[in-house]
Amino acid sequence: MMVAAVIAAALIVGGTVGYLLLKEDEPQTLKLATTTSTYDSGLLDYILPVFEEEHDCTVDVIAVGSGAAITLGQNGDVDVLLVHSPAAEITFVEAGYGESRSLVMYNNFVIVGPTEDPIDTMSSANASQAFQKIYDNGTAGNATFISRADASGTYTKELSIWATLGYNKTEVMAFPDSWYIQSGQGMGAVLDMAEEMDAYTLSDDATYYQRVSEDLIPNLNMTYSGDSALFNQYSVIPVNATMWTHVNHTLAMEFKNWLVSDDGQDLIASYERYDMQLFFPNAEGYVPSTESLPSIQTFGAVCATVPAVRTGR
Amino acid sequence: MVGTASELLEVTILSIYVSGMATILGSAIGIPLGALIGLKEFGGKGAVKTITYTLYGFPPVLSGLFIYYIFSRAGPLGEFGILFTPTAMILAETLLVIPLVTGITITSVVEVDKAIKDTVKALGATPKQSVLTVMREAWVGLVMACMVGFGRVIAEVGAAYLVGGNIDGKTRVLTTAIMLETRMGHFEWAMALGAVLLTVALVVFFFLRMLQEKEML
Repeated sequence: MMVAAVIAAALIVGGTVGYLLLKEDEPQTLKLATTTSTYDSGLLDYILPVFEEEHDCTVDVIAVGSGAAITLGQNGDVDVLLVHSPAAEITFVEAGYGESRSLVMYNNFVIVGPTEDPIDTMSSANASQAFQKIYDNGTAGNATFISRADASGTYTKELSIWATLGYNKTEVMAFPDSWYIQSGQGMGAVLDMAEEMDAYTLSDDATYYQRVSEDLIPNLNMTYSGDSALFNQYSVIPVNATMWTHVNHTLAMEFKNWLVSDDGQDLIASYERYDMQLFFPNAEGYVPSTESLPSIQTFGAVCATVPAVRTGR
Repeated sequence: MVGTASELLEVTILSIYVSGMATILGSAIGIPLGALIGLKEFGGKGAVKTITYTLYGFPPVLSGLFIYYIFSRAGPLGEFGILFTPTAMILAETLLVIPLVTGITITSVVEVDKAIKDTVKALGATPKQSVLTVMREAWVGLVMACMVGFGRVIAEVGAAYLVGGNIDGKTRVLTTAIMLETRMGHFEWAMALGAVLLTVALVVFFFLRMLQEKEML
């Protein structure tokens, strides 16, 4: 037993000393809470090394849902947020948890369904009409819809579209599970479920393209896209340093300023995967320096209606 | 993502470090606690045992949430700043190990105590001597307790993800890497990482088995 105790003690001391030694020579760190889509799409692995190099720091990425990311910010556990849930973001900043909210980039939500699109969402005039078709066919037993039903930006967007049809959150949550499945899963898992169940769902396009490019959802197709209501805005919010004095506010502000700078915006625009651009920079005052991006003006107008909110501090 | 051999090595070593430390700490608390509960007579002993066994079912995510709320900046011990570090993961995993080790220790020492109590007494052992004898005789069960504890935490993902944050190069362990790959739809790669995890477990359990058989002592 003595031997076991000695081995255990040696492991504890050795492990701790080793860990502390490793930790010693790390440069300053920035804790970034973000959504799974920015991380899983590979965007952050593409842009962050440039920032880390320029500012001699490391960025710790904590990729969770927008809801969880905002909670982490609220509790002062991270320095900066990069999220896509505008209403929750505005509340967060107004309540004093966030220093400011700046637009960074957007991509698009798309409606995904069985390749043959049996209920013809394709011909819908807008996203609301496509949802109406899903609702009508769903209640008639001819279609299934899988909802994230979590605290994600995607679910928030889904609820906003149901709201245009007159269904509030409580009513949506009461939709019968014969056609409306409330999964509580991440985006990728929901697409995998839709593939198995021949169902429709609402997805961010980055995750959809990732699944398509890896041939994981051969029976699904993007059946409706293009409505400006399906616009997916990402914003950066440094956590308020007067509320949480320990946050690395200087670095958080540098990160924000870098993201919305021409350099940061150009870098985001240059990220290509699956043979296409996945994120479209749209920080205030940014003008694409390279080839013209046709959709940017249209979406720029839309995002201008969502004001960047500042606290009175 | 775990794409290169050095990343895989880093993730694997962190898995062993976190699970190993949690097992050692959990056992350092659970074994004496289990011996105390098993060997000492006191009122409400049955209730204490029942509670210990109930905690076998303690959900890992709950353990993670508990540690999160204590060490969040908004929590009572926030100024330590250990959230999103391996230390926080070790603490959350330790909470999961303690009930298992305590419970198995109770069972082991009680069995041994029943079998040798009279003999030890007849030989005129002092209470301290008899406790040591019981513990030595219960050795196989005590190592078993550590094994079960290690098995639980090396395979655990909920608490590790919540308080560790699955930060690349810092708090990513095998289970959170498996979860990430699964989220991305890379099921084959996730299963390959699962095989690595089982290989690690094989090595550790081989070592513990030798310890159990006292071949190392």
